[in-house]
Amino acid sequence: MSPPKAPLKGVRIADFTIHAAGPFGTQLLSQLGAECIKIESKARPDAFRKPHAVYGRMSAATFDQVSVNKLSVRLNLKQPEAIALAKRLVSISDVAAESFRAGVMKRLGLGFDELREVKPDIVLLSLSSCGQSGPDSHFAGYAPLFGAWGGLGWMTGYSDGPPVEMRHVMDHSAGIHAAVAIMAALHQRRRTGKAQHVDVAAREVASAMIGDALILASLGLTPARPGNSHLSMAPHGVYPTRQPDRWLTLAVRNDAEWGALARELDQPAAASDPRYATGAARLRHREELDVLLAQWLAGLEADATAERLQRAGVCAHVSWSMQDIARDPHLRERGATTEVSAPGIPPRLAVGAPARFSKTSEVGIRRLTPTLGEDEEYVFGELLGLSTAQRADLERREVIA
Amino acid sequence: MHSEDPQRGNEMPLAGCRVIEHSRTVAAAYAGRLLAAMGATVVMLEPPAGSPLRMAPPLIDGTRHSALFASIAAGKRSLMCDLSSPTGRQAFEHELERADILIDDTPVSDQAARGLDREVIAKRFPQLVHVCVRPFGASGPKAGWDGEEVNLLHAGGEGFLLPNGLCYELFPDRPPLKIYGHFSEYQGGAMAAFAALAAWWAAPEDGGQYVDVSVQDAVLAVGAFALQRFGDGSLEHRKTRHFRYGGVFEARGGFVELLTLEDRQWSALLELLDHPAWAQDEMLNDPLERSRRGGEMNRHIRKWMIAHDVDDIVRKAQRLGVPAAKYRTPAEVTRGEHERARGLFAPLRLDEHTEAAALVAPFQFYASPLRAAGRVPDLGEMTHETAS
Repeated sequence: MSPPKAPLKGVRIADFTIHAAGPFGTQLLSQLGAECIKIESKARPDAFRKPHAVYGRMSAATFDQVSVNKLSVRLNLKQPEAIALAKRLVSISDVAAESFRAGVMKRLGLGFDELREVKPDIVLLSLSSCGQSGPDSHFAGYAPLFGAWGGLGWMTGYSDGPPVEMRHVMDHSAGIHAAVAIMAALHQRRRTGKAQHVDVAAREVASAMIGDALILASLGLTPARPGNSHLSMAPHGVYPTRQPDRWLTLAVRNDAEWGALARELDQPAAASDPRYATGAARLRHREELDVLLAQWLAGLEADATAERLQRAGVCAHVSWSMQDIARDPHLRERGATTEVSAPGIPPRLAVGAPARFSKTSEVGIRRLTPTLGEDEEYVFGELLGLSTAQRADLERREVIA
Repeated sequence: MHSEDPQRGNEMPLAGCRVIEHSRTVAAAYAGRLLAAMGATVVMLEPPAGSPLRMAPPLIDGTRHSALFASIAAGKRSLMCDLSSPTGRQAFEHELERADILIDDTPVSDQAARGLDREVIAKRFPQLVHVCVRPFGASGPKAGWDGEEVNLLHAGGEGFLLPNGLCYELFPDRPPLKIYGHFSEYQGGAMAAFAALAAWWAAPEDGGQYVDVSVQDAVLAVGAFALQRFGDGSLEHRKTRHFRYGGVFEARGGFVELLTLEDRQWSALLELLDHPAWAQDEMLNDPLERSRRGGEMNRHIRKWMIAHDVDDIVRKAQRLGVPAAKYRTPAEVTRGEHERARGLFAPLRLDEHTEAAALVAPFQFYASPLRAAGRVPDLGEMTHETAS
């Protein structure tokens, strides 16, 4: 298989990450052409290979977005020989990535210092809930906890309600930030020839999403929880339309857009009403405007209205479900969604390349979820030079298992 | 090309990387912010009146400063450069000559008039990575659409799914709720930074290129699991998108997030709850049965939580190995012992009278720690430097 014409072709990742956040980050790199070798074991396979009862999934997933493009090998990391093989894999990789609880890699003998011994310019990513240092670094956590710790959960909500639970987006936003940091470390390595240990704490990524509120808090101020409203735009929010549960999102930034909105919704009196003539006036009458908008939109079809408003220069979009996403030609044309299928995986949509590149354009999904150990012939045989007999012996002794 | 930022030395990961940022949106500005945090020299081009983000809410009471702008402009430089004038465009070209990366968010229809046409730039600056980050991207049938945060969160599918859990139960008839602030644009910005660095990685072999990033795409990417569930035959909805048990609980003095996925965590949860009578049912040893009876269990857990102090709960929970966290206020985050130990915040000077604390970066580099620049650039500071 010739390498794709993709920006990260030639970059190899030894991927020890588990759950969602770390695997999403390495998956992004793999979509841009990196070769990503996923290390699991039969005893501790990735979460997607098992039922996820709390989420209501009673069997293994057939398709796993965060595993696309990845090569799979088994290594039973409880065995010293497997650790030695893991180190050999790292020694031929540019990046090693892990998302265990802080300290686990060190205990396994795969800490930064050990990896640097076998690969002096390795980039090690450690992604965890609370980071590798600090008094909470041993805390266990999943996506909803990241938002709670980081302050984003508190800042999200109705002003008269409880904080709101953030879900997988917390994992995946940590994964994007990890991918950014890995790329910076690779550039640094190219410039200096030195190794780097990158530490991404998912809760700190959640905190980065409320950077403005943290600045206010540091000055002794109490940031407001605005819900769907905006501090300088009105109307602004999510409005019901003629169809049940078909909401229209609107953001009016200035007087011209307000005029356009009122015209498009056939409300000439509102367009010239001095109560709404300026941004400051509209903010003062924000609640009144929300009621008016709901009335005006009550008889209108959401999708056609959004298109008409966009043509008139007003920021509008329907609140989309995944069904809408799946049938959207724009996302499909961009490759943001892409249809995939494979033996045992009926055709379905997956998330494709995260960006479009004019020259290194062969980005995106090249293959789907690997079966456990699917790529051992290439990885252990071709890359590490183990013979068939050696591999059989290691399997028999449950080193490769 | 590889000029160093004298203020921060050449130890930072992106020392020597020069970025020109032309931004009106949070997405493009956040991309620049991430690169600046890692040591790139990020030159923000501003019109004479200043970036509109300088006045973006929330504003800091009693000052002329935007807390949002301070958080996303820290560590950058500012050059006044009016791309609607020929002199401005000339200065812009001068800047591009020594730049590695250009980040721009100009609407596609306005690009040519402002000297931002992708073909022209590619020809003049063949080694430049030209990143365009737009609400719906620079290509595709909706490339001309515009969107603010509330539109984009919903265009990417996540907005429809919020709120879930307790908040939805309390307010089932309210419209879907957006995530605080500029969550979607931060995702788009992070994706733009990632794509920029990936394209720059390829530059020695492939030269510069044009990179098209869409905020909507980025929101969908972070919401990929919902599309995966759709492919599995489940259309997610905020009404039903909650964990079978666990979630947000009101406790004495605050709110707790609780989520147990593994059997050992379930056993630890029972210990946390002092082995209640309702949990003695042996059927609940089966995770699938627990999943089926989640609603009933949550009602019991809620009663227990409200009778206990939030800090006591999370302290004991983490000691026992129960994944639980307090919903912390921004003030609690800025004062956090863990954050202090990790050096997450550093002083940020807004003017001669005002010093705030700002998040340095959402990642750490142990072999060469990041150093915060500590200041927000004055409008056109580089222009004045050149003049004097």
